[in-house]
Amino acid sequence: MPSETQREIGAEELHRYRDLARRFAKRSLEPLFAADYPDGNLAFLPQAVEIAFSTGIVASPEPSMPGNVYGIWGSATDELGMTPSLLLLSTIAETCAGIAFCFHAQGLASNLALPANRELARSPARVALCLQEGFSPPYLGTINEPDHEAPVRISTSATVDGQGYIIDGKKSFVYSLDGVEAYVVFARVGEKWGAFLVPANDSGVVRSDVGPRTGLRACRLENVEFNRVRVNRAARIDEGGARELVLRALGLNWAGMSAIAVGIARGAVSAARRYAAERYQGGSRIENHAAVKLLIGGAQAAAEAAELSVFSLTACDFTKVRTLVKPAATKMTVLDLCARAVTDSLQAFGGYGYMEDFGMEKRLRDITVLKSAAGSPRYLRQLIYDIERDDVE
Amino acid sequence: MNQTLQERIELLKPKNAAKSLNVLGRMLMDNREMSLWERDTRTLPRGARRWRRRALEFAREHIRPLAARADLNPYDFDPKPLLAKAAREGLQTLLVTPPIGRAYTLAYLRGISLQTAVVAEELATECGGLALLLLAHNLGIAPLALSGDLAAFFRHFVPYYLKLKFLGKSDTMAFAITEPEAGSDVEDTEGGARARLVTTARPTAGGFILNGRKCFISGARAADKFTVFAKIEAEGLDSWSCFLVEKGMKGFSLGRRERKMGQRACDASELIFEDVFIPGKNLVGKLRSGWANNRNVLNYSRPVVGAMALGHGRGAFERCLEFCRATRLGPRLLIEYQDVRLELADMMISLWAARSMVWQSCRQFRCYQSASAAAKVFASDTAYKVCNQAMELMGDHGYLHLHGVERAWRDSRLTQIYEGTNEINRLALFEHQMTTDFNGERSSETEQI
Repeated sequence: MPSETQREIGAEELHRYRDLARRFAKRSLEPLFAADYPDGNLAFLPQAVEIAFSTGIVASPEPSMPGNVYGIWGSATDELGMTPSLLLLSTIAETCAGIAFCFHAQGLASNLALPANRELARSPARVALCLQEGFSPPYLGTINEPDHEAPVRISTSATVDGQGYIIDGKKSFVYSLDGVEAYVVFARVGEKWGAFLVPANDSGVVRSDVGPRTGLRACRLENVEFNRVRVNRAARIDEGGARELVLRALGLNWAGMSAIAVGIARGAVSAARRYAAERYQGGSRIENHAAVKLLIGGAQAAAEAAELSVFSLTACDFTKVRTLVKPAATKMTVLDLCARAVTDSLQAFGGYGYMEDFGMEKRLRDITVLKSAAGSPRYLRQLIYDIERDDVE
Repeated sequence: MNQTLQERIELLKPKNAAKSLNVLGRMLMDNREMSLWERDTRTLPRGARRWRRRALEFAREHIRPLAARADLNPYDFDPKPLLAKAAREGLQTLLVTPPIGRAYTLAYLRGISLQTAVVAEELATECGGLALLLLAHNLGIAPLALSGDLAAFFRHFVPYYLKLKFLGKSDTMAFAITEPEAGSDVEDTEGGARARLVTTARPTAGGFILNGRKCFISGARAADKFTVFAKIEAEGLDSWSCFLVEKGMKGFSLGRRERKMGQRACDASELIFEDVFIPGKNLVGKLRSGWANNRNVLNYSRPVVGAMALGHGRGAFERCLEFCRATRLGPRLLIEYQDVRLELADMMISLWAARSMVWQSCRQFRCYQSASAAAKVFASDTAYKVCNQAMELMGDHGYLHLHGVERAWRDSRLTQIYEGTNEINRLALFEHQMTTDFNGERSSETEQI
């Protein structure tokens, strides 16, 4: 259901978003995969990112940037709902989920940082979100009160110091584009949540790469430590409590990840269909074999169901904890459906599906990372149950 | 009643509760503190039991330290030292009994593949790629061991044995059936009848001229000899024959090395044959017996692939378990949470079921198609599921190379594809059941017996 402040978005407008993403993917991303690289030739990535910024696909908190309003999770998200961003992400992910995730991470942090613009002399262009600590995103008790041991309190703290704050703590699994200028850091301020824009080049900020990983490799992934980093009052994004921003961060993150999963699954199914129409086994094209039909047909059904679920997420109202149930349930179920679609599509390729050449193994690696990242199925199931049990608000 | 809750829990544990039973009751209750691995091992025939223990030690000592590096940088990895160590340990001749091979005879007579299968699980638990590297050699040997051609067998194995015994060196072998236009076709009866094969052998004076290509050949770069299947020129797959091709033969070369998602420590390479002369003595088995030999090799190799898959799943499980024992979520370790234990238990059940099936499939002297295919399908699907569960349980840590769980996940996915895709294996399973009478009446075949 769209929220009251949300206007309805027309089919033509949606078509323009999809068309924009398709043209970008074709012109700027497909060349990355022209040569033999398992995750695309990432040397071309900065160029593709620049094009995405200049065409307004990627959002930025900086008001002069083209994507500030209509980019992925740009300032128009509240007015237009989630659909345009979900559409852009899923379309780009058909070609490369890693790059779609870069744009998603940038857009998500931008969306959260937007309120800070009113205070800052100059807004950073590239930002990243620092919410998670240790093993998983915060559980329900901690979402409500960061000081709550449920089962673990938020360790990152912001303490008032003269005209500013001192931020201290560690954040884990921070996804970002290259060249991040500032982090949107969630921290405890007394018993409440606070959100701060922290310059990435501060001497107290220590970034460490997490090392080799399975997928989404176009995106940077780091652990970030804040060692008594001093920021001024204007760097605080919220107005005395950032709980709603935490809800927004989690909700948009899961919605975006689900959209990327749908894109990966759609890409996998189309690639499998193309391959099945060209490849011969047993004297005829493999699309004529029942085993292949069952695999690809099932994959397509799973992808279609996932798509319906993702695009039922429209409203962007994250004022209540209950609003997290739908994106959480969507992430859990859509990722499962899409992972099934991708692995079945890969199976239709036989041995070639396992080789880097056809891009299917990359799709499988990427979607598997999405399943575990920023809220595993175990975490999501518990969160959904806890929200319903506590019937918060 | 002054006991604490902890004391009451302790009292109720089966081990302590058993004290209330009489002697006979206590004897009938097995409360020994023993790992499931040990319990499973004790159910094996003595020879297989010994090999399971030895393989566990070998894998931990020689494979574990190499696993991460060989996966990340497979092109810089030199497999020869590991292959030599494995050969000296006897891991490379488990399909043959003494004096040439190292399979224990009594256990061998109870199941030709059983010892190889238990070893495969242990090796694959540490690293799928390195396990494949070692086991691909056994697959290369299999056509010689199963062809029934004693002359070819001794011609190859006597020098192999002497070289290993006195020089400490061993030749490594690889098995070559897959072709660029015929993957699944060469593993399925109906597909085989329509297969488009490009590798041909032309009879000539003193031997054959081999032309064509093979692809996805595991362990080709380290192999010294290959059992290569080719059809006789201008004939069909029914003319398939097996030839022993040696590295260095004129006209034989290695082509592209595939870039794989997992099992990366072992290459999958292309073989190119350009007018390669194969002497007549290198024909393995009878001319035109290759198709039957190949199908039988698959019967023996599929349970081993199932065991490898089982190893991948077990590796993921064991490393995930260690992670859960060492990682805190708030005041408690992950393993202390009930939901985590439920998930871990589910993974163990799945692996146990798969192991039972794999062992069952090779617990008769000869492996047969239905059981082998079923074990391979079930174990590989189960392993992939368990690896996914392990990754998900570890949250974001699951996809980091650091923990080795995602490596097992990548490795396990291939077992659903090679040795016949799981779809081909399902068809193979059913091929022998097409006329099974499930109404309880005796089949015509039984009546003939």
